[in-house]
Amino acid sequence: METDDRQLIAELKQENTRDLAFHRLVKTYQERLYWHIRKIVLSHEDTDDVLQNTFLKVWKSIGGFREESKLYTWLYRIATNEAITFLNSKKRRNLLPLNDVSDYLMENLTSDPYFEGDQLQMKLQQAILRLPEKQRIVFNMKYFDDLKYEEMSQILDTSVGALKASYHHAAKKVEEFIKNTD
Amino acid sequence: MNKLREIAPRLSKIKKENPFRVPDNYFDDFSARLAVKLEAEKKALPQPKNTVIRYLKPVLGMAASFALIFMLVYWPLKSFLPNYLAKTNTFIESTTEDDAFRSILERLDETLFFAVLAEPGSVNETAEAGFSDDELMGYLSANISDYELYLQTEN
Repeated sequence: METDDRQLIAELKQENTRDLAFHRLVKTYQERLYWHIRKIVLSHEDTDDVLQNTFLKVWKSIGGFREESKLYTWLYRIATNEAITFLNSKKRRNLLPLNDVSDYLMENLTSDPYFEGDQLQMKLQQAILRLPEKQRIVFNMKYFDDLKYEEMSQILDTSVGALKASYHHAAKKVEEFIKNTD
Repeated sequence: MNKLREIAPRLSKIKKENPFRVPDNYFDDFSARLAVKLEAEKKALPQPKNTVIRYLKPVLGMAASFALIFMLVYWPLKSFLPNYLAKTNTFIESTTEDDAFRSILERLDETLFFAVLAEPGSVNETAEAGFSDDELMGYLSANISDYELYLQTEN
C-alpha cells in the first residue's frame, strides 16, 4: 500500500502523468474521505461539496506534499480542515457563536433523506452532535473508523494523550445522554 | 473495547453500523463530476505571462505614468494659461547657437581675443569665416577706447 502511494505521489508530481494519477487517487480514497466528512457535516449535499473542495485542494497542493506523513494521513487532514472550514462558514453566515453549529447539524440530521438508522442510531447521532466539535471528530474517528491514536495524532495535530482524554470524555457524555433519554 | 464497556456500557452494546447512505451510483459518478470542476478550476487559474511582457511591463508602466503626468500638467497649462507657455517657449526658442556664440565672446577678455587673432592661421580662418576688416574695425571701435587703441599701437 505504501509502495503504491509512493508511486502515486511520484506520478502526481510529474506533469505528464498527473491527470491519470489523480484519477486513481480519487478512485482509491473517495469513499473513505466521504464517510469521514459525512460524519462531521452530516448532510449528503454538504459532504459532496466538501469532498470536491478537498480533492481540488489536493490537486493544487500535491506539489508541496513533503511526504513526511503517509498519503492518506495527509488526505484525512485536508478533509478534516475543509469540513471544519465549511462548518465555520455556516456559523458565520448564520451569525452563530463560533462553537455552536449543533442546531444546524441537528436540522441536517433529522431532515436527511439518506439517514437509514433506527431510533437507537438516531439517538446515538444526536448524542454525538451534542459534543464539542473537536471531541465529536475524535469520537467518530475512534468509535466508527477505529483509527489508531498515533494516526489521529498526525491528522489532528494533537498529542496522543490529549486524544485519549478527549475520547474518554466524549464516550462518557454519549453514555450519559443515552442513559438519560431511555 | 473493554475499556469502552467499563466507561460506557450502554454505548458499547449499540451495534456499530453506518446509519447513513448515499444516492445510487454516487461514487461511480463522483470522479467525472470532479473532473468537470477541476477543468473549470484550471481555466480560472492565472496563466503564466509572456516573459517579454513581464519585463516590459514596469517600463511601460513608467512610460504611461510620465505620459499621464505630462498630460495632467502640460495640457491644463496650455488650455488655461496660453500666455505663460508662450513666454516660456519664446525664452526656449531664443537660446540659439548665436546666443551661445555671443555668450562665449562675452566671456573672452580682450587680451585673449587679440591673442586668438594673432595666432598664425587665424587670419585665414577669419577670412574663411568671412570676418572682414570693416567688421573688425567696427568691433574695435565699439569695445576699445581710442586711448587703449593708442597704447596698443605704441607697444
